[in-house]
Amino acid sequence: MAEDSKEAEKIARCAMCADMCKYGCPTYLATGRETLSPQKMARLIVYNEKGFLDDEKGFLDLMFQSAMCGACSRHCIYDDYDLRKFIHEARVKAFVKGVIPEDVRQRVDTFRKFGNPSGERDIIDRGTGDTGYFISCSSYKDEDLLKAAEKMLSKSGLAVRRFGGGDICCGAPLYYVGDMEGFRQAALRMKVEIETRRLRSIVVDCPTCVKMMTEIYREIGVELGVEVMHTTQLMGSLLKQRRLRSRKEKKTVTFHDPCILSYDLAMSDIPRQVITALGFSLREPVYSGEHTHCCGGAYGAKIGDRRLKDAVTSMRLNELRQTAADIYVTACPTCKSVLSEINMKYITELVAERIIAKR
Amino acid sequence: MKVRTYMSREGTLPPGFIKSVRRIIGDEHFSQQEGDLISYSLDYWLYGVFLSQKGDLPALPSAVISPASVAQIQEIVRCAGRYEVPITPFGGGSGVLGGAIPLEGSVVLNLQRMNKFLNLDALSLVAEFEAGTMGANLELELNNRGYSAGSIPQSLYCSTLGGWVSTRAAGQFSTKYGKIEDMVLGMEVVLPDGNLLNIKPVPRRSVGPSLKDLFLGGEGTLGIVTRATISIHPLPGLTIRQSFIFPSIEVAVNVVRQILRAEARPAVVRIFDEVESGRYFPGIGRKVVAIFISEGEAEYTAIDARVIRRISGENGGESSGEEPVDIWLQKRFDIGLGPVLMQYGGIVDTIEVSALFKDAARVYRDMVAAMKAVEGVLEVSGHYSHFYREGVCLYITFAGIPKDPLRYYQDTWDAAMKATLQNNGSISHHHGIGFWRIQYLEQELGASGVKLLKSIKNALDPEGILNRGKLIDGGRQ
Repeated sequence: MAEDSKEAEKIARCAMCADMCKYGCPTYLATGRETLSPQKMARLIVYNEKGFLDDEKGFLDLMFQSAMCGACSRHCIYDDYDLRKFIHEARVKAFVKGVIPEDVRQRVDTFRKFGNPSGERDIIDRGTGDTGYFISCSSYKDEDLLKAAEKMLSKSGLAVRRFGGGDICCGAPLYYVGDMEGFRQAALRMKVEIETRRLRSIVVDCPTCVKMMTEIYREIGVELGVEVMHTTQLMGSLLKQRRLRSRKEKKTVTFHDPCILSYDLAMSDIPRQVITALGFSLREPVYSGEHTHCCGGAYGAKIGDRRLKDAVTSMRLNELRQTAADIYVTACPTCKSVLSEINMKYITELVAERIIAKR
Repeated sequence: MKVRTYMSREGTLPPGFIKSVRRIIGDEHFSQQEGDLISYSLDYWLYGVFLSQKGDLPALPSAVISPASVAQIQEIVRCAGRYEVPITPFGGGSGVLGGAIPLEGSVVLNLQRMNKFLNLDALSLVAEFEAGTMGANLELELNNRGYSAGSIPQSLYCSTLGGWVSTRAAGQFSTKYGKIEDMVLGMEVVLPDGNLLNIKPVPRRSVGPSLKDLFLGGEGTLGIVTRATISIHPLPGLTIRQSFIFPSIEVAVNVVRQILRAEARPAVVRIFDEVESGRYFPGIGRKVVAIFISEGEAEYTAIDARVIRRISGENGGESSGEEPVDIWLQKRFDIGLGPVLMQYGGIVDTIEVSALFKDAARVYRDMVAAMKAVEGVLEVSGHYSHFYREGVCLYITFAGIPKDPLRYYQDTWDAAMKATLQNNGSISHHHGIGFWRIQYLEQELGASGVKLLKSIKNALDPEGILNRGKLIDGGRQ
């Protein structure tokens, strides 16, 4: 109870703040809609809790329009606060009450049927070793990325067990729609998949998977008991140890920081170190690193309406294009797919194209 | 809708107006949804924010209209004129005097979709932005290209360029880079009749009275600023941070006076009274502290810092190093305490005034004393935050936990304004008038001044379409 009132104080505080984080909020910036700014979302959450609102459907639609990217949390003046937690709670309540938007319901149905957000898939399970390469739902359908990952892993000389596909999913799509029981089942399933393969560490391309498997699983009491790392961390350390060697390139590269990688996992430097280790020179967009913007495909936004997603994507594409780089690179398979208009590559592809020999 | 309003309720819009506006901007950018009406009901007028936690809002707009181009704004304004629908322009919504509250059933004209960087002329050191560009985004765009506007208000992260122009704003680095009126070279304004005024960007011109000054501080009552060209500066090559402890406010103010008279131009000068120093710099405690940031081309900056050091030393200033400046740089945007206090029934606000050097210390003493005498007071503190060769801006923060919040708020403001006016000060340095300060405007401008302002308003906007109840017409409801 005391904990509840402390949390209520935090969001009430946010609801009376000056909205000092909105300059970083991609949904607000892309739409110019004050209502989507973090402080106004907080005010509406407080008002909804207190019964000041009439339009419940309108309120819930708004809750499903956050990208959940974490820009507001990163730029918050309060250290102990993350608005996403409260937006997520509103989504959970909506889910429990069965008043989620129709497109959200469809996603849940797909997930329930196939155990993943995409539909029917084959199980992937090959290789040996106690390091696992988990092929996320977003990587699964990306042949170029998987080929590059295969090349990078085999050239590294590491024994790596590849697994994914089928109904193996971190559960993020369910978490973001507020289906916490479904999410818990997915987390437990993931734990079994990891334990069955006796893995000690796993590498993942998708920053959202990393966030789920570490921070969010812990919140629901699921401990995987393995080290979870993002692919850039692995490649960064392989390049440093000279287990991977590459041809140097003189071209310019713009790195699009995936929101979760930058805001939640605080990994802005590592991908840049990988890119510069390959000899590229970096061109920074106005909004990079701690100021990056969501591509529009983050799980939060993906379940919002199409127009909103398109507005956020279009804004991000413009920001990246302004750098006029030779190559655009990111470290999230979803960002890669959403920003495909500028021929976005996943960072592993950049590395794999330039590997010249085994160590 | 279960929220309560205490100034005005949303009105009923003529169907013809709604139809026309939807045609102009598209259905999705015209909203009467509850969430939108609530979100555009209030800016950062702190008494309004205090009341908002209980679902009490000053006013609700009749609709929120979000155009994306100047042509759309022109059409909307003409349409509003035809149907006599009042319009409240809304930028970042960070104003602290209620200037963006949509009174009398106004529709809100939301300028936040017009937030683009347009161009930068490195040769002339100017850049052009749309008016809805947020301050921080404007700075990020410029910084990425090696420049800064030098306009860094505390609201940098939530206020817009159009808002700065409309309230005649000032930033923390103003002593070197100037205030917004020193920065704006040109602007584009939609007039109340829907016509467009283009004030081209030139360093100066002599073509009659300066038209841009009508809109620098016009608070959206005389026109809607849609874009502006501002001066920019290369990012500084050298920054020198210094701070000094002085025996009193009087000595500190006199030191800064001498420094400016000696033609030093630090970007930041701030003098904190004992209470604010105690809050900011626990390592120093309750003493009068002045901080200085000199920046720019290396040679000049070194001289600037030397002049500050010499004059401070000659007047009994004890150096307290760079640390207080670093602390201030870290904490300068942190307004976190206000919302916490408000949850416990606290009333918090700030009042900024200006005065000549001869009155500067006395204004501070008299304001603080008068505000401390109001029943319910918890704390009153102050700092000087902007300096000129001729005088200062004094910035007072007050907090109280009163039995009667409105009484306390009104009495404290009355006390502060009276003390300012008695000491020849101006009632506002850079926050503007909005609706709350209208009650003191005649004491500031005199009856002739108010009459002149009203005449200008009537000439430009005879139907009172733009920002009704702010700056000029009406007054408190």
